[in-house]
Amino acid sequence: MLAIVNRTLLGLIGAALVLGAALVLVSAAGVDWTPYEGSSDVLLSAADRRRFEGRDWWWPVVIGTLAVVLLLALWWLFAQLRRPRLAEVLIDQGESGSTPLALLRGRALEDAVAEQATDLDGVERAHVSLSGKRTAPRARIGLVLGPRARPAAAVDALRSGALKAARTSTGLVSLPAEVRLRAVKHRPERVT
Amino acid sequence: MSDDTGTLLGEQRTAASGFSPGEGEGGDWRFWSVRRVPAALTAVAVALGAGVLLYDIVSVRAERPAMAWRRRLAAELAARPPDDPWVLLAASLVLLLGVGLIVLAATPGLRTLLPMSGASGELRAGLERSAAAVVLRDRAMQISGVQSVRVDVGRRSVAARAEAHFRALDDVRTDLEAVLGVGIGELGLTRRPALSVSVRRPPSKG
Repeated sequence: MLAIVNRTLLGLIGAALVLGAALVLVSAAGVDWTPYEGSSDVLLSAADRRRFEGRDWWWPVVIGTLAVVLLLALWWLFAQLRRPRLAEVLIDQGESGSTPLALLRGRALEDAVAEQATDLDGVERAHVSLSGKRTAPRARIGLVLGPRARPAAAVDALRSGALKAARTSTGLVSLPAEVRLRAVKHRPERVT
Repeated sequence: MSDDTGTLLGEQRTAASGFSPGEGEGGDWRFWSVRRVPAALTAVAVALGAGVLLYDIVSVRAERPAMAWRRRLAAELAARPPDDPWVLLAASLVLLLGVGLIVLAATPGLRTLLPMSGASGELRAGLERSAAAVVLRDRAMQISGVQSVRVDVGRRSVAARAEAHFRALDDVRTDLEAVLGVGIGELGLTRRPALSVSVRRPPSKG
């Protein structure tokens, strides 16, 4: 979700910059259909600038627009810094679904999956974080591989082991997960 | 993008750090970076620009003189035609910046994370290139005769350069190709990279 927002805004801002710059460059080349009347005109004359100043609505609109832009930019900035972790996972919805009957602490599930992941052959450390909604959690898992690691086997074991156990023990129908495998760089020794 | 897991909980997104349009059968998908850093930098730039301009305009309306830089900017904009060299330079830089932002928005990013196959609708796994290199290097070091080996893993090819201090070079290379071939298979990547192996004697010291 954040990726879509970021990419859309970056694309729009980039397109606006390209259009503005292209307008100036093209009119410098002496083409006729731009707002600038060829190379004899200036970029933004005093008359252009003051064109709307007399109107009553000009300054409030300008100030309002700038304030909105500022707030949106700040919101956008803080959206990058959040990475909310799920506090609870819903296990049993009860009959009407309005009052949850059982909640599992997010940290508990994360620790359980991480512990099972670390037991896998070749996995030195595992880091698990849950995000999403209480009823639809997602897992982000980082595995640090050690010597004698077999990456594909580790992922398979994770899928049929720790993740499957997490699903059955919480009653979730599905638990989407994204797994990243990295390795600690160690000196090249013979690993027997 | 919806998974076919038929979940009761509705559509779920699998990738916590991005989405991947065009998912294939466990092959042909990529990780898409969230682009937090470019977004944060752009947001800061826009916020600063809007904030400073807003502060200055409000202070002008409050009967205080505008800041010196704004008066100078207005004077400059009123004096320079579009084909002034400074204007052309500034416009070119802005054009490059805009194109850069569009490229960032459109490309996947995360070039060091190699997608692994075996992705069902729910599980997406990626292997860092450096991790693949370490795993393959450890395998290569097991081969008798190999003193040191360097493995470079790219998105399409793996290059192994080994130094063998005993045994015939050809034998070592054959063994390396076999072991690394199996090793690459065990990495489980969606796109199996090509392997190139070269072996030489270690340079004699002194």
